[in-house]
Amino acid sequence: MGVILKCRALGFKYGKTRILEDISFEVESGLFYAILGKNGSGKTTLLHCLNGILQPDCGNIEIGQQDITTMSRKQVAQQVSLVPQEHLDVFPFTVLDVVVMGRAPFLKMTQTPSDNDYRLAMEALKVLASENLANANFNRISGGERQIALLASALVQTSKIMLLDEPTNHLDFNNQYRLLSKIKELCRTRKTSVVATMHDPNMAMLYADCVIMIKNGRIVAAGHTEEIMTTTNINTLYETRSVEISTLGNKNFFLPESAVAGLKLKGKSC
Amino acid sequence: MKKTKPLIIFLLTVLLVLFLSLLVIGRFKITASDIGSMINALFSGKAVGEELISKQLVFWWIRLPRCIMAILVGMGLSVSGAVYQALFRNPLVSPDILGVAAGCTFGAALGLILPGNNFSLIHILSLGFGLLAVTMTVAIARLISVKSVIVLVLAGMVILSFFNALLMVLKYFSDPYDELPSIVFWIMGSLSRVNWNDILLIAPITGVGLIFFLLMRFRLNILSLGDIQSKSLGINPSMFRLIFIVASSFIVALTVATCGQICWIGLIIPHMARTLVGPDHKRMLPVTALLGAIFLLAADGVARSISSAEIPVGIVTALTGAPIFAFLLYKNRGSGWV
Repeated sequence: MGVILKCRALGFKYGKTRILEDISFEVESGLFYAILGKNGSGKTTLLHCLNGILQPDCGNIEIGQQDITTMSRKQVAQQVSLVPQEHLDVFPFTVLDVVVMGRAPFLKMTQTPSDNDYRLAMEALKVLASENLANANFNRISGGERQIALLASALVQTSKIMLLDEPTNHLDFNNQYRLLSKIKELCRTRKTSVVATMHDPNMAMLYADCVIMIKNGRIVAAGHTEEIMTTTNINTLYETRSVEISTLGNKNFFLPESAVAGLKLKGKSC
Repeated sequence: MKKTKPLIIFLLTVLLVLFLSLLVIGRFKITASDIGSMINALFSGKAVGEELISKQLVFWWIRLPRCIMAILVGMGLSVSGAVYQALFRNPLVSPDILGVAAGCTFGAALGLILPGNNFSLIHILSLGFGLLAVTMTVAIARLISVKSVIVLVLAGMVILSFFNALLMVLKYFSDPYDELPSIVFWIMGSLSRVNWNDILLIAPITGVGLIFFLLMRFRLNILSLGDIQSKSLGINPSMFRLIFIVASSFIVALTVATCGQICWIGLIIPHMARTLVGPDHKRMLPVTALLGAIFLLAADGVARSISSAEIPVGIVTALTGAPIFAFLLYKNRGSGWV
């Protein structure tokens, strides 16, 4: 297992506001990395720096030994795919139309997708067990189904490095876990490296191999999930006291103090 | 995937039949056999008979260029409209959004008022101001450089209103008996002024533009997903946006400079095409071009043969375009984009 993505002393600012500072970490192939942090801590910005959507003002990024600044946007896109957090309403494309757009970095300037590209798109939908969505109107499916369609599009693009911006954002209770299990499976079967921003530390506990904790644009802790996910770290990261709950044998989960306080409130039960 | 080939062949046939029949139809009666003998005369080099001379003049110098121009302008305006709608991810955008048409109209009005009333001066001023307007819009957007798409639309509104205001100034100070009517008539688009020189100017540029758009049509799909998605799919959105804007603005400016403002085509034809074959530009763009040509050819046919005095084709397209647009909105309700 080699290092496939490297990020050294990365810094980024929007105008004069510094968003990221001195971010360094390495991504190995076939592992699932979770980026945890409060709202506005710079998670999405970091993700956008990793595939060159945003240009960092200092530090460097290497994708498979090559410096990102020496690569064309197309070359980056052939190795790194992104599932964005928000997707805007577009024209009423079918899901298959959207998925096949993932082939764009492999097409020449004037090429349109071939039958083979559509076949690959169909396969990606099959991998996610959603081939029935193929002809549905992208604007008229549920948020969760859109998330699946965009994941399929990223999968068609490349499964080498996938950046996911809060992949479980629009999903219901069960689908959150189904999607993440699917992604974890890709890590194991296709050696996909996944870097996902996440809101819920317990999700990271369940699926991530490594965790990177970001606070005010700096890394506060990073490493293997079991070592990093401690109450002390969670407390610093979210600036709250939290309680650790042991369950499922060796796994620990966390609840913030406010949740525990909520439990203790007395009132009428249903 | 819907199959578009039969539809395209059907539309091509309709276009051809319409083109041929509009050569025969009109206030001035020219029959198919007249045309046959004229073409014969052209190739054999012999002079045509006495009774055909005036018909020949009308056919070669008025009717034929006019029909060709209708096809070119129809294709150019409708495809530019489709391109603008994809770039701004907004189905309600038409090619005037960045102020091209407003700039062109002001330029033409200026040319009409300036002494000399030189026809090519009107053209040059119109084209010049049209392109100036777009350049100003893009420049303002660049200066602001955040939220690029929205800022571009807002900058377009600023420039559009500014040139409309300038046009009002010109109208106010123009001579109400002579110049004002000519400005008003000029603004209502019409193909009656078309001559071969216009075609020689417009055909290559529109042709190259259309071929370029057709070749790049899959990129339009990706640009319509927004900047973040385009970038992560390996495409530089701002560069492509600029190229597409320059190309389509050129087409629109040339059209307005020669034919005045022909409204609605750039807005409704892409909608029609989307209703027929879906939003994928791979299929939709060729259909848009053909529908645009058919629509303007038919509208111009109506404009010049419905009454003894010709009515401007802009009036016909506006009168038919508005209800068609309303119908399309109704038909596409629930597809999630209006």
